[in-house]
Amino acid sequence: MSLTLYWQLAVADEPRRAEPRLNPALPPQISDRRAGGRNRFDYYAQIATAAAHTGFDGLYLPHRPQGDDNRIVAGVIARAAGHLALVPEFPASVGSAVYAAKQAVSFQRATHDRLGWAIAPDEDPDTRAAQADSVAQGDLAERLGEFLTVARGVHGARPYSFKGRHFEVLDGGFDAPLNAVPFPPVYLRGEDEAAIALSARYADIHLFTPSPDLAGRIALLGDLARQEGRHVAAGLIQPVLAREFADEAHGETAIPGLLAGDHDTVAAALSGLVAQGVEHLVLAASPGLEEAYRIGQHVLPRLRARLSPIRSAA
Amino acid sequence: MSIDIYWRLPTHGCHHSIRHGSYDRGDWSPPSPHRLAPGLDAQGQEDAYRYIDHLAEIARAAESAGFLGGLIPSFPQTDDPWVIAAALARETRSFRFMLAFQPGFGNPVHAARATASLQRATGGRTLFNIITGGGGPSQLWWGDSVSHDDRYSRTSEWLDVFRGVWSSPDFSHDGHVYQVRHGGLPPLLRQEEFPEIWFSGSSEAALQVAARHADYYLSWLEPFDQLGEKFARVKERTAALGGEQKCAVRVDLVARKTQEEAWRDIRLGFENVDEATRNAWRRQGGDSVGAARQSALRPTEARHYEDLIAGPGLWGGFNLLRGGPALGIVGSYEQCAEQLDALIARGTDAFILAGTPHLEEAWRVGEEVLPLLGRSSAQLLAAE
Repeated sequence: MSLTLYWQLAVADEPRRAEPRLNPALPPQISDRRAGGRNRFDYYAQIATAAAHTGFDGLYLPHRPQGDDNRIVAGVIARAAGHLALVPEFPASVGSAVYAAKQAVSFQRATHDRLGWAIAPDEDPDTRAAQADSVAQGDLAERLGEFLTVARGVHGARPYSFKGRHFEVLDGGFDAPLNAVPFPPVYLRGEDEAAIALSARYADIHLFTPSPDLAGRIALLGDLARQEGRHVAAGLIQPVLAREFADEAHGETAIPGLLAGDHDTVAAALSGLVAQGVEHLVLAASPGLEEAYRIGQHVLPRLRARLSPIRSAA
Repeated sequence: MSIDIYWRLPTHGCHHSIRHGSYDRGDWSPPSPHRLAPGLDAQGQEDAYRYIDHLAEIARAAESAGFLGGLIPSFPQTDDPWVIAAALARETRSFRFMLAFQPGFGNPVHAARATASLQRATGGRTLFNIITGGGGPSQLWWGDSVSHDDRYSRTSEWLDVFRGVWSSPDFSHDGHVYQVRHGGLPPLLRQEEFPEIWFSGSSEAALQVAARHADYYLSWLEPFDQLGEKFARVKERTAALGGEQKCAVRVDLVARKTQEEAWRDIRLGFENVDEATRNAWRRQGGDSVGAARQSALRPTEARHYEDLIAGPGLWGGFNLLRGGPALGIVGSYEQCAEQLDALIARGTDAFILAGTPHLEEAWRVGEEVLPLLGRSSAQLLAAE
């Protein structure tokens, strides 16, 4: 079993950092020659480089409507992010599935196939109304299914036609060279059976959140996917707080599912999750830069050391 | 008043010369020993590069040679402008990214957030060439079955929403196509400058929307007097609505040291056009009025390049040499500058220029033609 390790880049976390408008100026007697036009995009690029330097395989950007657009952020930092996979999450209400697929293919072409496509879970009716999304709440799963079907369809076949309730294409499909890159792997998330069933039909990777019954949910995902004749890999978004000593590992706020402890303990717990069948592990902690270094330097090597016997046995 | 001059990024490959329509830069043509396709070496093996690296070279050449930025076209076979702009944001300094975009393809609220993010990433270097589509098979290819005139009303409504969520923290809209309740960009994003809107379209429906939404009305080159009349009409219509309409021309140049060299390149290019290319153009359908205004020249049926000379220094067969509009400017550096001055005199406020190959021609036009602009108009003024 292989493990892909992602660092989480949440565009709305640490909202003040690197935003000149939200921070006081330096005292007047201090020279300040910083360039104008600085903002969080510089910081996003720093986090990406940090994750690349510290041994992660990818960056996962959870959908945050109150922050920058994830697909733009991923595109802007892609060429600074070395080998990292980039998985921006976005809602299925972005518009044309054909257009979104074409953007995905272009991204693949520009980045040596490093894109992942994460589609955000359904948002509440008020949020969707504020985003010009007028599809009825009961039709969202159908819209998501059509969106992914059409996006993969125009990438995979020429000519491609489709007539659904939400999308329609006639004699579509990408020509060479746009069809020469692989379609990005699709990530979905959600905890209930409906979300898992949707992943069984449409996702390549299903991202869970921590729960005591993770093994049971992974088994359910496997069963439902088999019924569809597919394999869907299990992933987990895991908040972590790792310190040199266990008594230092306490945060200021309670984070659901937080895995806290010293470096060894956290690495051991993560390897336990891998043993339960997690193949894609998104680690999340704030601030994104400092914690990427801490976890990359102290936890990932311990985790990999624990996993290497499993790998060599496999 | 100053004239804004942009270049163009070829988003579907480029040729090493206007003489050969071979698309031998980029991976849109089959492998051959002379093809430069970043990403694949001559044996078809991976190298360290991608076509985006070539576009980055062109963008950096353009910003150094004096262009404000460049148009990033979008067609079924091209790479996508949003992806290109994002990828090059941190690799350019002053280059402004003009994204060609059809509003119907994206939710206007999400597009506003993406655009504001791009403004943040580039320091306000994003603008749009809003296109509403040529219709016909290619609209259905995109998954869009809305009819020509309805597409323009959708474009208008899309721009209302796009602008609305940008300018108000609590924007609601109940339209034919879009419904928004209490929308608005996040505060940091809303502080970004709203992007300039360049608008294309020659039909009556297009002109109405342009008058309402466009900073620049963008046209392909047409015979100068015809174009001057069109610009005058657009400016008049917008003035009647209490606004001021700027007008822009997108045109290719073959600018050489002498006019003989320029026309020699045109002749050689024309002689290299094969029947397959003519047939491909004959098959082009669609309901675009702008395309019809140019195709009166019927370049596909011409047997000699001179048949397509549409006036002094004007040639109507560019579409045979590379994808894009038919009419372009041919001449010495001085003649090309005079033509551009003549367009300025007929109401042109801005240009999107291009030449093949886009990289080397960005330097040539930037160094040899742009510095000559304004001389002939100054002479005209002095003579009056």
